[in-house]
Amino acid sequence: MKATRQRFDAFLFLGPAVVLMLAFFVAPIVVNILVAFSDMNQTVRFEEFPTTKQFNKLGKLDPEAFWGIELRGSFYRALALTASFVLLTLIIFNVSFALILALTTTAVPERMGAVFRAIWLLPRMSPSVVYALLWLWVVDSAERGLLNQVWLLFASEPLNLRLDHPMAVIVVANGLIGASLGMIIFTSAIRSIPEHLFNAARVDGAGPLSIVRHVILPALRWPISYITIYQALALLVSFEYIFLIMGPARSTMTMAMLSYTKTLAPGIGGGQYAYGASIALILIVVGIAVALLMWRLINMKSLLQRPRIEVN
Amino acid sequence: MAQIELKALQKAWDDAVAVQDMNLTIQDGEFVAILGPSGCGKSTTLLMLAGLYLPTGGDILFDGTRVNEVEARHRNVGIVFQSYALYPNMSVLQNILFPTRSQQTPDAEKRAREMAEMVQINQLLERRPSQLSGGQQQRVALARALIKRPNLLLLDEPLSNLDATLRLTMRAEIRRITRDLGVTTILVTHDQLEATTMADRVVCMNAGRIEQIGRAEDLYLRPDTLFVAGFIGSPPMNLISLPHPLIEVPSIARTFGLRPEALRPAETGLPAQVTHFEPMGREVLTTVQTPLGLLRFLEAGTQPRWQVGDSLHLTHARDDAILFDGTGARIPNATALMTEQGYA
Repeated sequence: MKATRQRFDAFLFLGPAVVLMLAFFVAPIVVNILVAFSDMNQTVRFEEFPTTKQFNKLGKLDPEAFWGIELRGSFYRALALTASFVLLTLIIFNVSFALILALTTTAVPERMGAVFRAIWLLPRMSPSVVYALLWLWVVDSAERGLLNQVWLLFASEPLNLRLDHPMAVIVVANGLIGASLGMIIFTSAIRSIPEHLFNAARVDGAGPLSIVRHVILPALRWPISYITIYQALALLVSFEYIFLIMGPARSTMTMAMLSYTKTLAPGIGGGQYAYGASIALILIVVGIAVALLMWRLINMKSLLQRPRIEVN
Repeated sequence: MAQIELKALQKAWDDAVAVQDMNLTIQDGEFVAILGPSGCGKSTTLLMLAGLYLPTGGDILFDGTRVNEVEARHRNVGIVFQSYALYPNMSVLQNILFPTRSQQTPDAEKRAREMAEMVQINQLLERRPSQLSGGQQQRVALARALIKRPNLLLLDEPLSNLDATLRLTMRAEIRRITRDLGVTTILVTHDQLEATTMADRVVCMNAGRIEQIGRAEDLYLRPDTLFVAGFIGSPPMNLISLPHPLIEVPSIARTFGLRPEALRPAETGLPAQVTHFEPMGREVLTTVQTPLGLLRFLEAGTQPRWQVGDSLHLTHARDDAILFDGTGARIPNATALMTEQGYA
């Protein structure tokens, strides 16, 4: 009787959360898998099922090729673009730049630091379309572009960054907005380091760089690991700024962009639901693989269990 | 090792003065305790000595050289914090070695091992701070503070986080080590027992000012101010506002003080009724209601002599009374006596 009651209570308490998880996290993946192995198009009907037709568009089995699969050029390109977009944004901005922001804004007087952090948060607070529009104005290839207004003071030819350096544009645009998350997490981690530890280090002869290296960075191990995994996964599927700034340009057609343009983008070849779903499925698999790999590399388990800092 | 001098030292923030007009000379190799309640400015003084706070007035001199603006890392001081502040990501050995990184000390590791031996943690060198007990962490902090042979060793409430038995051991231990090394040491504490048992001289501070500097017995027997009289001594001194018809005193006296051990039961004297008693081991502390208010007295013995409700008479030697004037300063060479019926 008691056991039944306990089971019922457990179900009662966990129920809503489980239902939400099933509805919003598990179900979409299941639907995505089903669609990926079908031939769904504009008519939104399951006709052929199951079929690997969609995956054949991405690559074909070839015993000669590396890993036994020969990828289609556009898909291979999407993979490569995704890898460079994710790695560059992650390493340069979401981790390193966020760390620099956190270190500098915690080093200056508190109120000034708060002002700077608030400024860095502004783009995250504004609608993404507004942020993208600002970027479009900044990198505008004509003379009215903000960057060109400055550039033309020193040079004669205007820059066309979207054409000549598309990857740089999307990395910087995503990075400047993405760094704010790391900045906040790192800032709070730095603030949780006991004041005595800084004082001890200063008395022990440590200069600013030595304090960063021996006191701050060790305390940031966990937040840095977390931000790295979280942002890597977020960037893998992120496409809104790429789409808003670059449109469906081939030069920045990452996996997420490819999946989006094949399905939901109106007027530029949308409606291939099954094709888009197959790309999304590969993204999901890549995401899980990346998460597991990083989990293992960073030894997240031990970080989660061990006390991160000693506070008396 | 160095002689330390504070001259009219002051630290003020926009809205508050933490330390003012502090004058103190500490001899080379001397062990001085700065004692006071929390917020009295003792920790601020310590942080100024360490070079972590910039004084807003006055001077700090190490061996006659002004060091006000010298950064913490160039002052060659060692410090042990209340929380020990060990680097959690480093082993014990790395912690002890850390201060030598910037100095390029030859044989740093050999010295670190010597230090570890001195504080008796040589078995723990590979451990992390989180794997150590409080007492062990403190020994590591002490070794780290001493490895670069500091001019000045600063101890910030070093024993507060230890249990009573360990505190007793560490008091003796710290004293032995500082004496062996001959290092000038300043201990900051709110615990009078720590200050009086360890230090050569005690500096008693209150509200940012020095109240009295002296040996432990000076502060106990001849407190300069009412504050010191009330702060030093456990159980605290009996203090009675004057004038009072039952106390015969010089007219300028405003407070009458008497240590609990100076009061004793007698055939005649102040009538009193027992309200509470506390056996404290070797002594019994008894609280009584008297016409002067509640008073406490200490009697030798393990057994309580009185029961709650018992009536008795209390008296004391005229010389044991300590009198303070209206400003709280002690009136030297004054004597007073509580009487039975009133002197007038």
